Amino acid sequence: MRERKKSSAVEVSSVKKKKEKKTKDNNEPREQKEKEESQSIMKQQKNTTSRSKKEKQRKTTEDYESLRESELSGDEVHGTDRDVDNADDHHEEDQTDGSEGHRGVEESDSSEDEVAPRNTIGDVPLEWYKDEKHIGYDISGKKITKKERQDKLASFLANVDDSKSWRKIYDEYNDEEVELTKEEIRLVQRLLKGKAPHTDFDQYADYVDWFKYDDALHPLSNAPEPKRRFIPSKWESKKVVQYVRAIRKGLIKFDEPKEEEPKFYLLWGDDSSAAEKAKHLAYIPAPKPKLPGHEESYNPSLEYIPTQEELNSYQLMYEEDRPKFIPRRFTSLRSVPAYENAVKDSFERCMDLYLCPRVRKKRVNIDPETLKPKLPSRKDLKPYPVACYLEYKGHKGAVVSISTEASGQWFASGSTDGTVRIWEVESGRCLRVLEIGEAIQYVAWNPLPELPVLAVSVGQDVLILNTGLGNEEEQRRVKDLLHVETPTAPDDNMASIVSWLQHDKLDGIRLRHFKMVSSVEWHRRGDYLSTVMPAGESRAIFMHQLSKKLSHRIPFKLHGLPVSSVFHPTRSIFFVSTKKNIRVYDLLKQRLIKKLETGLKEVSSIAIHPAGDNLIVGSREGKLCWFDMDLSSKPYRVLKCHPKDITNVAFHRSYPLFASCSDDCTAYVFHGMVYSDLNQNPLIVPLEILRGHTSSNGRGVMDCKFHPRQPWLFTAGADSVIRLYCH
Amino acid sequence: MDMNIETPEDQNEENSRRVQVRFKTKLKPPQKVPSNSIAIPSNLTRFGLSSVVNNLLQAVNPEWKSEPFDFLVNGELVRMSLEQFLLAKGISAEKVLEIEYIKAVAPQKEEEPSLHDDWVSAVDGSNPGFILTGCYDNLGRVWKAGGVCTHILEGHCGAVSSVNIIKSDGLKYVTVATASKDQTLRLWKFDAEELVNHPKKIRSFKILRGHKASVHSIAAETSGNMVCSGSWDCTISLWRTNDSDAAGNQVSIKKRKGNNQVEEPQLEGEAISTLVGHTQCVSSVVWPQQETIYSASWDHSVRTWDVEMGKDLSDIFCGKALNCIDIGGEGAALIAAGGSDPILRIWDPRKPGTSAPVFQFSSHNSWISACKWHNKSWFHLISASYDGKVMLWDLRTAWPLSVIDSHKDKVLCADWWRGDSVISGGVDSKLCVSSGVSIQ
Repeated sequence: MRERKKSSAVEVSSVKKKKEKKTKDNNEPREQKEKEESQSIMKQQKNTTSRSKKEKQRKTTEDYESLRESELSGDEVHGTDRDVDNADDHHEEDQTDGSEGHRGVEESDSSEDEVAPRNTIGDVPLEWYKDEKHIGYDISGKKITKKERQDKLASFLANVDDSKSWRKIYDEYNDEEVELTKEEIRLVQRLLKGKAPHTDFDQYADYVDWFKYDDALHPLSNAPEPKRRFIPSKWESKKVVQYVRAIRKGLIKFDEPKEEEPKFYLLWGDDSSAAEKAKHLAYIPAPKPKLPGHEESYNPSLEYIPTQEELNSYQLMYEEDRPKFIPRRFTSLRSVPAYENAVKDSFERCMDLYLCPRVRKKRVNIDPETLKPKLPSRKDLKPYPVACYLEYKGHKGAVVSISTEASGQWFASGSTDGTVRIWEVESGRCLRVLEIGEAIQYVAWNPLPELPVLAVSVGQDVLILNTGLGNEEEQRRVKDLLHVETPTAPDDNMASIVSWLQHDKLDGIRLRHFKMVSSVEWHRRGDYLSTVMPAGESRAIFMHQLSKKLSHRIPFKLHGLPVSSVFHPTRSIFFVSTKKNIRVYDLLKQRLIKKLETGLKEVSSIAIHPAGDNLIVGSREGKLCWFDMDLSSKPYRVLKCHPKDITNVAFHRSYPLFASCSDDCTAYVFHGMVYSDLNQNPLIVPLEILRGHTSSNGRGVMDCKFHPRQPWLFTAGADSVIRLYCH
Repeated sequence: MDMNIETPEDQNEENSRRVQVRFKTKLKPPQKVPSNSIAIPSNLTRFGLSSVVNNLLQAVNPEWKSEPFDFLVNGELVRMSLEQFLLAKGISAEKVLEIEYIKAVAPQKEEEPSLHDDWVSAVDGSNPGFILTGCYDNLGRVWKAGGVCTHILEGHCGAVSSVNIIKSDGLKYVTVATASKDQTLRLWKFDAEELVNHPKKIRSFKILRGHKASVHSIAAETSGNMVCSGSWDCTISLWRTNDSDAAGNQVSIKKRKGNNQVEEPQLEGEAISTLVGHTQCVSSVVWPQQETIYSASWDHSVRTWDVEMGKDLSDIFCGKALNCIDIGGEGAALIAAGGSDPILRIWDPRKPGTSAPVFQFSSHNSWISACKWHNKSWFHLISASYDGKVMLWDLRTAWPLSVIDSHKDKVLCADWWRGDSVISGGVDSKLCVSSGVSIQ
């Protein structure tokens, strides 16, 4: 019987496991508790409601009856089966019966013990009967024939149909199916949990001391407690002192607390981590190949297949940008062709390995943004000219030169069509047209507001003309000034070079020079003007005094062709630019102060900052140099911005602005802040590119001048239009 | 602005949502619609709404002739489709929407332009009887309606830059003042009612000298006793129009006029006081009240001057050189100014602490040369620009109500005339009159 139970227990455990799997999801102990609770409740209920109990009894008996019948009908071997069933029945009855049912369980146990195993072969390996037709012998010595082996599928189907199949087990020893009762299953469950098999067995029962000495007359030992049990141990204290000293001396060292390793680490992290690198200096991990994706499949989804348009667009790409792998579809893996580049790739790989050893590349991690100079935002540097709102149209040839009046109400322009026009700034109206008849080189308005006089260079002449503006009193003064007595009496050698004449047609003076005059510049007081004749060699630059009608040659030797000249805005200093250099002269002491080396091929224009210490120079190669004369004789900054010749440069009188205009039809506006603090270098910020002019005969913008009071820029174009760019 | 009556039912109704609206108006009964709420498609624009209202009016009054209306929702003009408008303004379309309608403000008719010999630089339409213009040919002209010149003011030796009608009340004679680039101002008197066949040349009765540079603008006091002028010499000068002996002299001039006009002695006047403070050309002055002058200058500021003290009370910095200024709008207190950029700015000086404009209109493409408030309406003003356009603005919308595009070149000056016409002069030497602007 024990044997049988063991094997059945094993079987049951497997069945049970299946069963448990279902319930495992739920909280197991809770379920148990609930079970127990429900059991206790049931017990109570059993006391109170006997009727339901009886019904249940009847039902269970009926169940078993029917089961027995079915077994009887289906089986040959059931002589003893009945006994077992009977016992089961009993037991079941007992179990359901008893509110005080420990005895019932005991009874069932004993009754089970009473049932002898059908097979009497004893404890021999069952393999011995493997090939026999019987499994053993019953108690009367008859062979017990093996049951017909049920087909697995049939048994499975039977199991599926039978709701009680989970509690049926096959007893190999007796070759029969045993259905476990509820109580048995509970027993098995308890065993599985490691509890005592029977519920009534109390594992942790109170200890009962059967032998009590309290009332005994004699103790087991009569010896008194020794003293040593009450005093501290001398030896121990010695040992402690020894240890303490050792610790103090540092002979004993405690283990330092272990550094905690990080509990979690990046499992899929990069192999080339910092730790790895530190270990092997020279180790360079090979780059990880990209893992194949769906597109590499032999039959990728349709969305991976490029359309014909995409394929065409690949053709337009550069070879390097083209995708290396183009997904294609094949009906089967078999139809995938061999990789056509296999040999080539492996060859190249070998070449790589042979020729290009992997070397650690020192990479400098610099954000390119940080390399840019810190410039203030353009927004903070307002106002500056931005948009063109006014155009001054009327000239028929390229406008070569413009000049603004000191108050900013008018400006004059000279053109190759032989006219000088005077314009009203605010309305764009041409107030006056002065017909000169020859292409104008340069116009310059007198800086004095009460002296509306214009200096115009035309060929070999410099004309000083009355503009006709201003009130009557001013006009009278201008007329007096511009009157030349016919007999000019200069010394003879000067007369051959420069002569002061009254202009025939127009109201003004004609200063006749011996060579082409390229530029005219007024002194700030409005009395002197300088003229530059590039071809004049040693007599290239003249100073004219308007009030006395006198001309002087500047007493300095020039090295190179003069291009342009400019007066210092506050001091008696004079700047002359030759093609390569700029010379600075002191007019009072009559000597050279400084020579500025531009490093440019050909200087085209020059402008001086209103404070007088900074200078900008434009060149024919499109470069713009900013000189800080306190700093050095070399350019402080060289700005390469124009692709073509710079035709002119200009400073604003009051705003920190400067501009350059070029033959590429653009004008650039810059912020050029000069600080009074000598330690602080000038701040140059490019602000705006002004476009709008059109090219004509390869020339673009010929001249640019700032409005004297507003942050506006006039540009004169070769397209015969003058534009005003406003802020 | 013709009106095709298109019934909203014609439109595809399924794919347009509907909003419940109720039309209300301050217009007089023939233009009033019943005030029950109706459902209209929400994709209607101003034109659609206008046709709805016209249909409603026609239903009440079969003789109703359709006319354009403009629509206000929460004090703002509807300028896109109603749906977009409600979405943009965050107005719920669930409730019944109150839409107020007003007559659409737009010029109906372009009248015969008055041709000048040169650029028209200044215009004044403050007198309903005539228009005064200043021209670059040094002459001032008086026009009676479209194209009929009655008087020519002769005497300046520089382009006339600004004109102003000083007073015309009660007197038969009208006094006007002109400023010119010859650095003088002149005062003129003429009979506006006088019927003449061909333009009559008249000479000034008084010359005001004192500016050291071109005079750029002129404005008369409300009572007409004084004028102020802004000039390129950065000052504003105040002048008296009638000296104590002016009345006596005026009669004598008139007597002598028949005898010999050339020999007529003219009075000369000196500036009473000069307001100094601007650092650049004073481009525009207005004198709306007895005691304050507003001025705009190329030094980027608008200043308010106390006439008695001769000091500036406050200044607004704009950042752009200013060409024109006008005072008007709500409580005649808003300052409109335009200058060297295409934005017309409107400030409210009563707002404390800020100098930021309350409105900015930026539909122009070039410098703004003139701006004028309507003298009756709080909302309407015009602006003229160098891009050749005159725009009519309503403060209740950011888009121009209408764009008058009759000039071919820069427009230099513009003004209202008779309350329902816009007059403007420009570089194309024309004075254009657009009439039929109905502002109630």
